Amino acid sequence: MAKIIGGIGTSHVPTIGVAYDKGKQNDPAWAPLFEGYKPVADWLAEKKPDVLVFFYNDHATTFFFDLYPTFALGIGERFEIADEGAGKRPLPAVRGNVDLSIHIAESLVNDEFDMTTFQDRAIDHGCASPLPLLWPHAPDWPGAIVPIAINVLQFPIPTAKRCYKLGQALRRAIESYPEDLKVVVVGTGGLSHQVHGERSGFNNEDWDKEFLDLFVKNPDELTKLRHADYIRRGGAESVEQIMWLAMRGALEGEIRELHRNYYLATTTAMTVTLYEPA
Amino acid sequence: MNPQLAGLDDLEGTYVFDLRVSHRAMKLNRFLWNMIGAPARETYKANPDKAMSDAGLTDEEQDLVRKEDWIGLIRHGASFFVLEKFARVAGRTNLEVYAMMRGETFDDFMKTRRVPECR
Ligand SMILES: [Fe+2]
Repeated sequence: MAKIIGGIGTSHVPTIGVAYDKGKQNDPAWAPLFEGYKPVADWLAEKKPDVLVFFYNDHATTFFFDLYPTFALGIGERFEIADEGAGKRPLPAVRGNVDLSIHIAESLVNDEFDMTTFQDRAIDHGCASPLPLLWPHAPDWPGAIVPIAINVLQFPIPTAKRCYKLGQALRRAIESYPEDLKVVVVGTGGLSHQVHGERSGFNNEDWDKEFLDLFVKNPDELTKLRHADYIRRGGAESVEQIMWLAMRGALEGEIRELHRNYYLATTTAMTVTLYEPA
Repeated sequence: MNPQLAGLDDLEGTYVFDLRVSHRAMKLNRFLWNMIGAPARETYKANPDKAMSDAGLTDEEQDLVRKEDWIGLIRHGASFFVLEKFARVAGRTNLEVYAMMRGETFDDFMKTRRVPECR
């Protein structure tokens, strides 16, 4: 039986990818970010999960607004990393697990989550920005990913509670998969930031800390917040933190926070956390 | 009104991108989105006016794009996430676009940041 062994929360700021590709790991302005991922990368190297399930959002790359899925699950042997306007990144295509993805699709749909599925489409920085900080990619990625994209761009978007329930359903899907796979669930996005309008550059460190504490101790409270609450407290684009709640739903019950790194350098509070079931 | 979004009217400098806005500005957003493809970028650079009128942009929209009026484009209904694709073509970083949307020079904006060197 497949099993969820932990959860990771991470920002997916595109500039993390740019800094990574430019080799800024030791640049004093970037080192606090890259250093902050090392304990998580070490944990992954030690625990050797077979699969990372990514709750992430597409940024109008894989999909356009003419047909924008609320929940979309990727199926493929490989997922190319998308050109988002600046050309291709020097990374190998990410590995997938076709059988597991299909099983999860079947399980979720039968569990009343009517997923869109996609194949043969490149995925963007929502997934690709943090991935090389978590897993090595030379000569190849050590495991497979299952990408689950959540619409957080074009309202109406799913509620925080619905995302949590999707995570609960994901757990049922994983625990009904016959192969003994070790799975880690990743929730991406946030924390506080706004990247449009005159309010661009907004941050709220107090709220970020409160969010991270509630996330462990009382996620129920976070699932009750409306999108307007997230937008007001953390900046418009921080509403994507509802994707962390999908990861929390998959780790339902008590969890231990093994690691937290929080680095607000310019506009997004770049954060990475690691959790294990208590 | 979407009850999840109620109560944001007084939040200045924020433009919620919902289906109403998306529907209204579909052609503009599709034009900006297309910049993820190298051929579309080349077509645009070779003849911006033709690329924009072929994409069905209104005169007002073409003007906003031509001037790289980032805040004007947002107010008009552009999604930031396709706008940033066009910003790459225009040779602007996201940090520069944030500064311009705030109506600040880049240097002034960066002075308001914790780690201005982080770029
Ligand atoms: Fe995002």
